[in-house]
Amino acid sequence: MKHVVVIGGGIAGMQSALSLKKRGFDVTVVEKSNRLGGKLLNWHCLFPSFTPATEVTDTLKQRIADSGVEVRLNAEVVEFDRHHVVLADGERIECDAVVLCSGFTLFDARIKEEYGYGIYDNVYTSVDIEAMLNKGRVELKNGGRPRRIAFLHCVGSRDEKVCQRHCSKVCCVTGVKQAIEMKQLFPEADVFNFYMDIRMFGPGYEEMYREAQQKYNIHFVRGRISEAAPTIDGRLQLKAEDTLTGRPLKISVDMLVLLVGMRSNDDNARFAEHSGLQCAPSGFMAPADMFLSNVASGVGGIFYAGAVTAPKSVGEVLNDGAAVAEAVTGYLG
Amino acid sequence: MNFFAPFCIPFMVGAAVMAVALVLKYVLWIWHLPRADRKLLVSGIFTVQSIKAVGEVISESLLHRRIFKVNPLLGYMHASLAFGWFLLITVGWIETIAYLGFRYVPLQGHVFFKYFATCIAEHKPVFDFLMDLLLLIVLSGVALAWGKRLYSKAMGMRRTTKHVLGDRVALSALWFIFPARLVAESLTCAIYGGGGFLTGSISSFLAEHVSGSLLAALYEPSWWFYSSMLGIFFVALPFSRYMHIFTEIPLIFLRRYQLRPREKESSYDNFEIQACSRCGICLDPCQLQSELGINDVQSVYFLRDRRYNRLKLAVANNCLMCGRCEAKCPVGINLNSLRQNSRDTMRNIPDESRYGYLASLDRSQGEGRVGYFAGCMTLLTPRTLSAMERIFAAAGEDVWWADRNGGVCCGRPLKLSGETDSAKKMMRYNKELFYKHNITTLVTSCPICLRVFRDEYALRGIEVLHHSEYILRLMRQGRLKVDAAGGRFTYHDPCELGRGCGIYDQPRAVIEAVGELLEPKHTREDSLCCGASLANTVINDAQQLRIARSMSAEFEQTGASTVVTSCPLCKKTVARGSSLPVKDLSEVVAEHLA
Repeated sequence: MKHVVVIGGGIAGMQSALSLKKRGFDVTVVEKSNRLGGKLLNWHCLFPSFTPATEVTDTLKQRIADSGVEVRLNAEVVEFDRHHVVLADGERIECDAVVLCSGFTLFDARIKEEYGYGIYDNVYTSVDIEAMLNKGRVELKNGGRPRRIAFLHCVGSRDEKVCQRHCSKVCCVTGVKQAIEMKQLFPEADVFNFYMDIRMFGPGYEEMYREAQQKYNIHFVRGRISEAAPTIDGRLQLKAEDTLTGRPLKISVDMLVLLVGMRSNDDNARFAEHSGLQCAPSGFMAPADMFLSNVASGVGGIFYAGAVTAPKSVGEVLNDGAAVAEAVTGYLG
Repeated sequence: MNFFAPFCIPFMVGAAVMAVALVLKYVLWIWHLPRADRKLLVSGIFTVQSIKAVGEVISESLLHRRIFKVNPLLGYMHASLAFGWFLLITVGWIETIAYLGFRYVPLQGHVFFKYFATCIAEHKPVFDFLMDLLLLIVLSGVALAWGKRLYSKAMGMRRTTKHVLGDRVALSALWFIFPARLVAESLTCAIYGGGGFLTGSISSFLAEHVSGSLLAALYEPSWWFYSSMLGIFFVALPFSRYMHIFTEIPLIFLRRYQLRPREKESSYDNFEIQACSRCGICLDPCQLQSELGINDVQSVYFLRDRRYNRLKLAVANNCLMCGRCEAKCPVGINLNSLRQNSRDTMRNIPDESRYGYLASLDRSQGEGRVGYFAGCMTLLTPRTLSAMERIFAAAGEDVWWADRNGGVCCGRPLKLSGETDSAKKMMRYNKELFYKHNITTLVTSCPICLRVFRDEYALRGIEVLHHSEYILRLMRQGRLKVDAAGGRFTYHDPCELGRGCGIYDQPRAVIEAVGELLEPKHTREDSLCCGASLANTVINDAQQLRIARSMSAEFEQTGASTVVTSCPLCKKTVARGSSLPVKDLSEVVAEHLA
């Protein structure tokens, strides 16, 4: 039986493994952390339906447990080619094909120092907000309820100054989703979204955006925040420009949420060099082509699924998992 | 003895044209000097500065001491041409006197003495030897100049200047002058006898192997050729790069009298611009050249374009003003100041209506004799700001915060872009603000602000300190204690702080109080620019990043675990290019407060 190694145990890796197993391959999932599920484990619920993220992760984990897919946890891959995957402890796993599902890296908001993440209280990232929602405690540092909340879009996306030119795709709709969640928790609070463009590309997204404005009275200001600074009374003063009216504005808020983008993994370049793969200028892995072979790598026997090739939504990642099994079958016969 | 022959005409015409052009130029330039500059000139002439200038002329215009420092071979090439030719003229002059005694000899009589002296039977072998030796030295310089065209790396130069047509004509003439002289003198000796070890040996070879009629036929043309080459070179000199040969001399004097390029273009600039020899030493240090392949904006090309009135704003603006070339310029031209006043000429369009908000604006906070000016870039890197807050608190300093709550720009970015008058509005505002709050010390963590506070604000009664100087002072006074926790640091010298303000040692002393300091390959006066300089408004972000990446690589090679710098703009830029954490000096100190 042909053996396929799936690198990464997030939702892309799990779905790929399941689809491959169903097609009769012997599958091993190699995951560097101590559990399956990837970044989605930290997520509270998913746009636009507000489906709890655990519904996806738990279901996939259960299916993996039932499927007979071999799972190797705490196993970090240092290099691979189509016939071998080498782990950090030196172990070499023989295989016939590799599916790279190593996903993405979250942009480190501390790099945009002017927004004060890690410096001032009550500056959070969208990831922090999901964690707080999961814990069921969303509050200010002093335990108080925020009266005014600002979301800032495109932190580490579409920003040449931090070498991230690409759009991270999912942050716009995440910002709308989290703004609604905030408004549900704190109906008395004013919630602002500072954006460059609002990109509502998926089914139900535009409707959710409209609802945010009409039903929840969330304010959308077109313009990026230039800097945040603490005020004497412990709030945050934001400087921005409303580019629709062409005027600079200053606003004091209790909480600033940075919608951090998805950037490529630092490993990508090293993997590419070792295995003869191609990276896109953004640093994400470049598939063989954008249409007919978008889960193939250009190197026979190495395939991609999920956000390792570009920022993707949960639904798109899961589709990749099914598509890659089809491509591997075509390759191994 | 008759000191005229028709072949002298090209030389005589050339020398006359050159003399008239030079005198006209220098008289006009001095005539048009700003009144203040003329005052400096008059009050400086009869001081010791003039004597020092004579010394500098000998060491720089003749011996080219500073080029020797760049590369010994390159120095020898310049010195052999300049000093060798100078001695050839001087010794030739003495030779004439030795043969003829003190009597009037026209210029061409000195220059073509070998031609006219054939009738003198008596020979003085000392002069034959000396003149041949000097000719050989100059010829070796010419040979090196040819060699440099073929393989400039041998002289430590990876790139040489691309010359314009006029320069090429003058250069070719210059290259032919001395070989032509050698041929003409050797032919003369072959026919009439005499000559030293060089011309003498060549002449005996010629006499033996070439027929007498051929020698006679070549004799006059060879002198015509020599004279023509001299003539062409002299006519081209005032209009080509060779203008530098003479212009460096008045420049050295004027500089000794404290004349400098001003905020606005002035007549003095001509002396600096035309003292550029287009040697091209400024090309290699330029990171726009080495990293981005931009090869038409460097100082040599900027000065050339400005001299011939074809300077474009895109060239004037395409410079980091990092000062790396200025530090290496063998003529010591104030390259950044000249570029800045060019930008002023091309770009200074004050917008009166934009600065109405400055009136009655005061967002400063706190009270104290020490003022802290964060500057825009520190406000965008608030870790530095909060570190400074902790340092001030630890030292028990009462601080007046000039702009923590938002302030007015120091003015340097506008100045760098040429908008001098708008910058002045901001400078006046800040100056009045500092005086109003009665501070005695002004601390800033931004070298860009520091530079303009020191150079342009003329803050009487207020000591301006960079935070690295201030922190070191606190530590030496015992007001600030840090624990020597160790750690391996490397330090990036910001251009504005290092080459701009000469501050190299203080930040290093502060780092060494905390841990180990590892120097990158390019350091101190030779440090690299991060690439994000405010002075360059032409290159794009991706190009800035390429510079940042390449210069950051040096930090990783040191084996340090943290890159330290003391400029908020450098910090942001290096952080983009480096995989190591990048911190401001104040952050390192604040993290290690005892």
